Amino acid sequence: MNEFIYLTFDGLSRGAVYAAFALALVLIWRAARIVNFAQGAMAVAAVYVAYSVTNATGSYWLGFVAAIVTGLVLGVTVERVVMRFVDHSSPLNGVVVALGLVLVIQGVLGIFYGNEFLPVAAPFSRDAFELGGVAVLSRYDLFVFVAVGAVVAALTLLFTRTPVGLRMRAAAFAPDVSRLLGVSVGGMLTLGWALAAAVGSLAGMLVVPTELGLHPTAMDVVFISAFTAAVVGGLDSPIGAVVGGLIVGLLLSYVSGYVEPTVAPMAVLLLLVVVLLGKPGGLFSSSKARVA
Amino acid sequence: MSTDPPLKELALHNITVRFGGLTALDDVSLRVAPGRIVGVIGPNGAGKTTLFNVICGFVPPTSGHLTLDGQPWRPRPHQLNGLGIARTLQGVGQFGGMSVLENVMVGTRGRRAEAEAMAALTRCGVDRYAGARPGALPYATRKRVELARALVAKPRILMLDEPAGGLDADEIQWLASLIKETGTTVLLVEHHMDLVMSVCDEILVLDFGKPIALGTPEEISKNPRVTDAYLGAAA
Repeated sequence: MNEFIYLTFDGLSRGAVYAAFALALVLIWRAARIVNFAQGAMAVAAVYVAYSVTNATGSYWLGFVAAIVTGLVLGVTVERVVMRFVDHSSPLNGVVVALGLVLVIQGVLGIFYGNEFLPVAAPFSRDAFELGGVAVLSRYDLFVFVAVGAVVAALTLLFTRTPVGLRMRAAAFAPDVSRLLGVSVGGMLTLGWALAAAVGSLAGMLVVPTELGLHPTAMDVVFISAFTAAVVGGLDSPIGAVVGGLIVGLLLSYVSGYVEPTVAPMAVLLLLVVVLLGKPGGLFSSSKARVA
Repeated sequence: MSTDPPLKELALHNITVRFGGLTALDDVSLRVAPGRIVGVIGPNGAGKTTLFNVICGFVPPTSGHLTLDGQPWRPRPHQLNGLGIARTLQGVGQFGGMSVLENVMVGTRGRRAEAEAMAALTRCGVDRYAGARPGALPYATRKRVELARALVAKPRILMLDEPAGGLDADEIQWLASLIKETGTTVLLVEHHMDLVMSVCDEILVLDFGKPIALGTPEEISKNPRVTDAYLGAAA
């Protein structure tokens, strides 16, 4: 029972990070109908910038802010300089360009920072508190929950309560009609990419200290989990991304704990295959068919 | 709003639009004077919607140009709202994932967006559906929501693309009085002749992209070329 409780909290903590990362994928999917396969590489680039800033200033939080700002800038740059010019007649074009971006970003990071794992410290202790003799959560886990919770709440408010959020939804749903209503569709698209990349950077900042360390490919495995989370949630649904993230986190944790840690990534892939075969629209999607 | 600039004069000068071998608009000129209600009629495929698309910047003219208040003007869709030009769509293009109120709010700016959107819905008699999803409403009600969405920005030029399509006689009567009351310049593309004849100050008749007549409703109804175009008789 103790093990179950521990694994559950551990899974929810990992899941929160996947949820944030999946949310970033959903944001771009909703705005541009592209699965941003470069999300992981973009997030790693932001974490490298944070690493440099933290090393130079000695402040984790300055590095944290730098990562978020880098995310925003990268999002704007990738959309304005690259994605805007992709021919959208086939969904595969965006995917191939995003994969190309992964190679470019990882290559550039390797040139500047090398291909060694760099140690990244967590801002809070990762030792778990004990509750009734059971190790449950660390202060770092709590930080993860608060950070992801704040992002989810802020995005929910943005999309449901603000005029900008309303226009972003309108632009994604029917670009031409939105233009007639005075919405700058290109601007909304850029904003969507910026927000998504910032959220992805946050996820990167949260996950890297819990993994082997910082490496140009550090987010590759995380990307697969987060992509699965987004697909489980239906790609179109922010709530689905959060729930999907938690499901994937719990699955990884239970399989690691009860079966074998090395099998856990395969369990995620199996989940992805099962969902794509059985309910391709995801658990939260209203649409019946997937176009990409 | 008392700070509104005066109504604008929109003019098309020798507009021609070709799609490949098809000439959708052939040397069309039209001056829409401020405050006037101008109808554009013609058989299916006459180029009426293309004309609207040129004014909205969706279709660039192959030749000819537009002016706004006498100044050469190249329309861009997302700038129309800011210039005080609103357009409704034939196919009621409402945002499915939003409530009726949110749909109308997309067309507004500023702090009073929600109040203004509610006022527009009230004006069109559909305020009680504010919280509903447009997809769940009858077609005629959605047409009214579409009108509210165009009116909410207090346009100085209102472009209506077949607003009477799918409406019954009572609703068309309501629409006619709404159009007359707006006090703005109205450009109306419509098949429903009673509506066009009763509200318009001036009517442009297109046939296969060519302007064949321009005049008051009386002049148009007596013009033999117009009757021929509609009845398909040899000119």
